[in-house]
Amino acid sequence: MGFLELNHVSKGYGPPSNRYEVLKDVDLSIEENEFVAVIGFSGSGKSTLVSLLAGLEQPDAGEVRMKGNVVTDPGPDRGIMFQNYSLLPWLSVYQNIEIAVKQVFPEMGKAERKTYIQGYIDMVSLTNSEWKLPAELSGGMRQRLSLARTLSMKPEVLILDEPLSALDALTRAVLQDEIIRIWEEDKRTVVMITNDVDEAALMADRIVPLTPGPAATLERSFAVTLDRPRDRTTLNFNPDFKKLRNTVSTFMMDLNEEAKSLRVETTYRLPDLEPLDLTKVG
Amino acid sequence: MLQTLKTTLLKVIDLTALGFLEPYVRLAYGEEPTKQLRKIGQFTVVPVLVIIAGLLVWATMISPNVKTKSGELPSPTVVASAAGSLHQFAIREGNKEAAYVATGEEREAWLADVEAELESIGAEVESANATVVEARKAEAASKSERIAPLQAKVDALKTAMKEERAAKQAALKEQAASLPVGDNPQRAAYLGELAGLNAWLDEQKAEIDTIDDQIKLIRDEKDPAVLAALSQQTAVAEREQYLKKMAEQLGEDNRQARVATGQEKLDVAKTTFFNAEGAAAFNAAKKVISAEERLAKTEESSYAKPATLYYQIQRSILCVFAGFFLGSAIAIPIGVLCGLSTTFMGAMTPFIALFKPVSPIVWLPIALIVASALIPDPDKHWFTQWMWELPLIGQYKINPAFMASAVTVALCSLWATMVNTALGVASVDKDHLNVAKVLRLGFWSRLFKIVLPSSLPLVFAGLRISLGVGWMVLIAAELLSSSEGIGKFVWDQFNNGASDSFAKMMVVVFIVGAIGLLLDRIMVVFQRLVSFEGSIAAV
Amino acid sequence: MLTELLERFVTAPRPRRVLPGVAAAFLVSAGTASALGPAEVPAVDSGETEMLDLEKDELKFGFIKLTDCAPIVIAKEKGFFDDEGLSVEVIAQPNWKTLLDNVISGELDGAHMLSGQPIAATIGFGTKAHIITAFTMDLNGNGITVSNAIWEQMQENDPALDTDQPSHPISAAALKPIVEERIADGEKLQMGMVFPVSTHNYEIRYWLAAAGIHPGMYTETDIGGRTDAQVELSVTPPPMMPATLEAGNIQGYCVGEPWNQQAVAKGIGVPVTTNYDVWKNNPEKVFGVTKAWADENPQTMLAVTKALIRAGRWLDETDDAGYLVNREEAARILSRPDYVGADYDVIKNSMTGYFYFQRTDKRAMPDFNVFYKYFCTYPWYSDGVWFLTQMRRWGQITEPKPAEWYHATAKEVYKPDIYLAAARMLVEEGFILEEEIPWDTDGYKPATDEFIDGKTYDGKDPLGYLASFQIGNPE
Repeated sequence: MGFLELNHVSKGYGPPSNRYEVLKDVDLSIEENEFVAVIGFSGSGKSTLVSLLAGLEQPDAGEVRMKGNVVTDPGPDRGIMFQNYSLLPWLSVYQNIEIAVKQVFPEMGKAERKTYIQGYIDMVSLTNSEWKLPAELSGGMRQRLSLARTLSMKPEVLILDEPLSALDALTRAVLQDEIIRIWEEDKRTVVMITNDVDEAALMADRIVPLTPGPAATLERSFAVTLDRPRDRTTLNFNPDFKKLRNTVSTFMMDLNEEAKSLRVETTYRLPDLEPLDLTKVG
Repeated sequence: MLQTLKTTLLKVIDLTALGFLEPYVRLAYGEEPTKQLRKIGQFTVVPVLVIIAGLLVWATMISPNVKTKSGELPSPTVVASAAGSLHQFAIREGNKEAAYVATGEEREAWLADVEAELESIGAEVESANATVVEARKAEAASKSERIAPLQAKVDALKTAMKEERAAKQAALKEQAASLPVGDNPQRAAYLGELAGLNAWLDEQKAEIDTIDDQIKLIRDEKDPAVLAALSQQTAVAEREQYLKKMAEQLGEDNRQARVATGQEKLDVAKTTFFNAEGAAAFNAAKKVISAEERLAKTEESSYAKPATLYYQIQRSILCVFAGFFLGSAIAIPIGVLCGLSTTFMGAMTPFIALFKPVSPIVWLPIALIVASALIPDPDKHWFTQWMWELPLIGQYKINPAFMASAVTVALCSLWATMVNTALGVASVDKDHLNVAKVLRLGFWSRLFKIVLPSSLPLVFAGLRISLGVGWMVLIAAELLSSSEGIGKFVWDQFNNGASDSFAKMMVVVFIVGAIGLLLDRIMVVFQRLVSFEGSIAAV
Repeated sequence: MLTELLERFVTAPRPRRVLPGVAAAFLVSAGTASALGPAEVPAVDSGETEMLDLEKDELKFGFIKLTDCAPIVIAKEKGFFDDEGLSVEVIAQPNWKTLLDNVISGELDGAHMLSGQPIAATIGFGTKAHIITAFTMDLNGNGITVSNAIWEQMQENDPALDTDQPSHPISAAALKPIVEERIADGEKLQMGMVFPVSTHNYEIRYWLAAAGIHPGMYTETDIGGRTDAQVELSVTPPPMMPATLEAGNIQGYCVGEPWNQQAVAKGIGVPVTTNYDVWKNNPEKVFGVTKAWADENPQTMLAVTKALIRAGRWLDETDDAGYLVNREEAARILSRPDYVGADYDVIKNSMTGYFYFQRTDKRAMPDFNVFYKYFCTYPWYSDGVWFLTQMRRWGQITEPKPAEWYHATAKEVYKPDIYLAAARMLVEEGFILEEEIPWDTDGYKPATDEFIDGKTYDGKDPLGYLASFQIGNPE
């Protein structure tokens, strides 16, 4: 049994007459301290998957379990780092972390808390920006702050929802290294959602592609066997890396083709076709 | 150092939305001078020119042409002098107040000054009076000269008309005697003649009326010399009256003088008491006590100063804030509940929809009755007593009329805040709420740490509208409740109906506008302070 | 407490201390005193006030911006209140209703009131509260103004009016054809007055009814007083009168000064008569306080009455030639913006004894405002009874009442004992003269027929007076 498990999870929206199935029959098992990258095209239901993992939403069918217990509501044990940072814009860098720390570790003393928060600020290299408001930070800094806030809660599982997609390539690379560094220093379970195969291959232990929606699901997973620490400059020449990247990419492209054809079919909705068959093919 | 100052200045300018100042700061630092000069032209010179043009239009085109029998639109200079006389009134009343409590050498020196002035003003009064009489005479002479020929014409026309009418009527009467009986052309012609006579009479009357109107116009003309003499006379007479009162305030009516008299009386009473025997001693003792009490009261007495415009402005501002805070204290919690719970919102909607459009004129009498019922005798009620003892606001003598005005302001202004608060709370960013969920914040933490800070910009946008509405409502409320303030000032001026009353009301137009602008700017600053990236943009 | 005081000052015989100045003045003016009081008021050497044990020394009095608020303003400005140890704030009120409400609520200690107000409040017509008065502020002072158009029509109906100075009194007879013509056209003439229980309402009704024009009855359901009206009367605040007249909403009004003179000054109407012609020397305003206030503050009440009597006297003081010496100064004080606030010129006219009926028609009316002479300040029961008869005549009192009720009600409101106690002290202190006060009266003025319709009014026979009218309730 995995540390974090999704068992036959389905989730859809809308009334029964006009239901949109986002996720259908998703199974995933994540081991403790494993770094899993879920990769998928936009609109494939990645964010819904995150919400389910975090407990912000409940599945229609199946269950999400953590350490064997069914997840019913969100909590600081599953630290989530949102795609659009979710910083509180009226609070400073320090206060944004403080609000989390105060809530998760209410028994912490004043002085201790201060050092603790400062530690995380330093960890994400935001030293000297403690009293800046999020509006005064660059995109990368905001993402780092979001990371620091999530880490400061000492979550058992770290859920990263496309953490770097909004950043430029350079900042992105820096942050990738940083996340890896922090993760290696302080091992814990990570689920990262991304749309970048390179990023997934560089950072994760396992890559799980999400089929395109509607009714997205997880078909198979690819283990990343590359040794750590992985150096991005040499990695490009590593044949294993190249092979992995090609396999995943091809798989993804195929999925996309299928999805496209699926979409065309569904758009015309000819009366002769049986939707059930087609889903099975997909 | 200089650079920090610049940044600070620019920040303050941005915060207060006084953008037109920005090019000056930048220019002072030599930053793109041509661009800054163009901006100055655009945001300072043009508005100033428009204001000047407005004043010119007012002075040369509007005010000379807007004249009714009830009065005329005062020109800018008249308004300025009215503002001057209001200021003078306030200064004089302040002096009277100060004079009453003046003591010692200061009082004597002041008294000497006042008396010297009083002596010299006698001649001025007389000459002013003489000027008025002369100006009046000259006016009457010139008017009667102009009217006389017209009047003669009217009289001649009237006499002629009367004679002719009498003659023609007599002729017609005579003719009537010889009319044959029956429906015949002669009778028809007779009717025609009579009608002709009437028509002719109407014509004559119309002519007379035209000349009469001319005469009236001449009579109504106001001779500038007389007006100038009158205003000079008024100024001097008012000054004389003021000096006389000052002399009294510094002399026999002065507090020190009264205290001295009271002391004397007390001494006399005491002597009597010390020497009194038997039953007389009791009465004498009573007198000593009452003299002591009187003396104590005199020592604390002050001049009963009438309300000056400055005092009224201050009281109005206090009143609008009292109403504003009261309204906000009601609106924000209800707004938050509405935003949090759609059920509560549903329950409140009928009330909001029903009460929102109610005019202040309807609320005020109700508020007045409630306030009077709560505080039956303001001179003795503990609440008013307590309010009057408070530092700073004690001097504004908060009474039921004030409270009713404040409540009216609250009732009329709270809606904007309530609706905006509800909207703000209901539309908190989902991501922020997710943060709260992940952190497992309790209800109160979520409210105070996430929901309220996130909705503050909208709340303050509502508060800003509320304060603006409140300020407008207050003037009407004060006018009706006769609560001392700007509204009452306007009503009093309207009641005065003096030649400068309209000008004084115009002064108030500018004061009310300026204060309204200031209040709005203050709220803008607050609104900007609580705003954050992504919140509803402040204007 | 009050009775004790009254005994002390009214009943107890006390040696009289006559100051030399007073004695001299006494000789000069003794001849002019009559049953109606002195017609001239000589100057007196000022005396010294004996301080009373005031219960309350900071007071607030309300007034309406009319020249007849003068006694209160003068008592303040000339220091008569100060002399009594009173610090008085004088506050303009927006209308008669608010003024009365403020007195009842305790916001004001006392106020300048319409004579009808304390009576109406006491009997419960309108707001119910027991209001008393110990001081009548003035006589006369009102005028009836009609619009220029009506005046021209009146001149057509009565050519005698078509001169620069028509002879007075002008009755409403010349108005009657206009009223009838309007009714034939399906319209009614509209006129303004200031308050349902104001003297103005009764005066304009009296003037109209005297010429056979029905001004309408109040009934239990018609509190506007327009039942059977040939001319409809409506309430308009005094300052609004000229503007409302000019706008054509009303064709005439009855109001106090300076609003008739304003109409002349602005050329929008013609005052046809003053209330002096309707009823010579009729009582106008009183100084009213609640009974509860007077009971709680008997000494203060006395002190206030003393100051007001002195103010009235100051206003009516004349020199040997009968010239009102202080009126110009009074007009100057009243023209201050915090008092009446109208232009000095406008206030001066009526205050100094002149009245413009038209631009071309300035007449001397020395008794247009009477503040002291003719025993004016004494609170006469007969005045109260007259107002009650008018309230009954026009249906404001809905039921017929026995004569005793009229007397009893008048006595509930008018308090001559307080007045006499205050006057006695002033005589002792040398501020007023013995013969200026009707010490021995029973509170009823002698019967008079100085009305525009020549009817005789005897305050002792209210029912007989009511029965003498053709229009209005006869009993």
